[in-house]
Amino acid sequence: MSQSTVVTTAPEPKLWAGGRSPYNVSYGKMMTWFFLLSDALTFGALLIAYGTTRFFSAVWPDANQVFKSFPFMGDRDLPLVFVSLMTFILIMSSVTMVLAVHAGHYGDKKNVAKWLLWTIIGGICFLSCQAWEWTHLHSECVSLWNSDPALLQHGLWGSFTDIHTPTDEFRHFFNRHSEAVQNILNNDPLTAMRSTHNFFNYFFTITGFHGGHVTSGVIFNILILVNTVNGVYERRGHYEMVEKIGLYWHFVDLVWVFVFTCFYLL
Amino acid sequence: MSAHHHSESIQHLYEGDQSKLYSGVMQHHTDVNSEESRAQVKRIWKIFWILLVITVTEVIMGMFFSHKMPKGLVAFFFLALTILKAGYIVSVFMHLGDEFKGFIITVLIPLFLFIWFIIAFLADGGFWLRMNAESPARQHIQHVEK
Repeated sequence: MSQSTVVTTAPEPKLWAGGRSPYNVSYGKMMTWFFLLSDALTFGALLIAYGTTRFFSAVWPDANQVFKSFPFMGDRDLPLVFVSLMTFILIMSSVTMVLAVHAGHYGDKKNVAKWLLWTIIGGICFLSCQAWEWTHLHSECVSLWNSDPALLQHGLWGSFTDIHTPTDEFRHFFNRHSEAVQNILNNDPLTAMRSTHNFFNYFFTITGFHGGHVTSGVIFNILILVNTVNGVYERRGHYEMVEKIGLYWHFVDLVWVFVFTCFYLL
Repeated sequence: MSAHHHSESIQHLYEGDQSKLYSGVMQHHTDVNSEESRAQVKRIWKIFWILLVITVTEVIMGMFFSHKMPKGLVAFFFLALTILKAGYIVSVFMHLGDEFKGFIITVLIPLFLFIWFIIAFLADGGFWLRMNAESPARQHIQHVEK
């Protein structure tokens, strides 16, 4: 290029001067991210409160003892097996969601609908598993103890509030191989009962808050499935709404990864 | 202005709906059976297998080994795997890895607050644990434990 034809364009401005978003994302998608960020802080607050309570408790129920049941397996000792199934279902539904988003990028209406349907099925399976686990654990929580089984009351939200509750009602939640833990159960059962109470309260609150997110996620997925099938996004020219709901759905999966670690593994 | 050169050609699509500027229209995806599309689907399934293997490792660890290992090591091990899983989900499934660097940083920076939250609250929990352990009501347990 010769000297005479040097282009006279102005230097590019350092600051953004309107027009295309510097992040190359639309307003809706960016705000979805920021909403998820605030939701992450809420979940984080709940999990940190759980961690603090656990840290200052002298004893704490053992996940391998609390979560060892499987539907139709009776009293067989199967620690973590059921929750592994739930985790698998949620990861799987995350994959089907990302495949729906992928199909959306190519405007492939049929595949968007197909993968959204699988995602909805996965979400409903997860919720069913959670309903079973909640029912099972609820029946194990005793808020008002009475030697007559007909008068025994099961605690709402996993409460253990009656100081007359015999240790045997919660002994099985604790690690029976640790001498130190068994000593506390024998000599200071109220401390152990308080830990059990806290453990189940946090469990129902946090998994409940997460389950609420899964429920709304399933509802959103059903809505966008209806829109997809009706051709709303095809007419709009893009499937960005599927992407935005996808972000929410993956976030729910993401939270489960942390809930799983905090409640079932650590 | 050259900075706006690309957007001018599609400005007619704007009509107040920003999403048209940044979704699909810009990316010219058409063939779902293209090489690029297949590669992306393959990547998604690869991440699925990685997540599955990590989860199975965690569960086996939790079932058989975590009780016999030092507590600190167990916590470190599980937290490291959890963050690895979270990283894969966010960067690939949520496509954050494909966004602009500035946007990635904007989303991630507030989360670093958690490092401080965890340190602060565990310190608080530790203080309460010591208070509880040293209070007269608990002395007899200390005695039994010895």
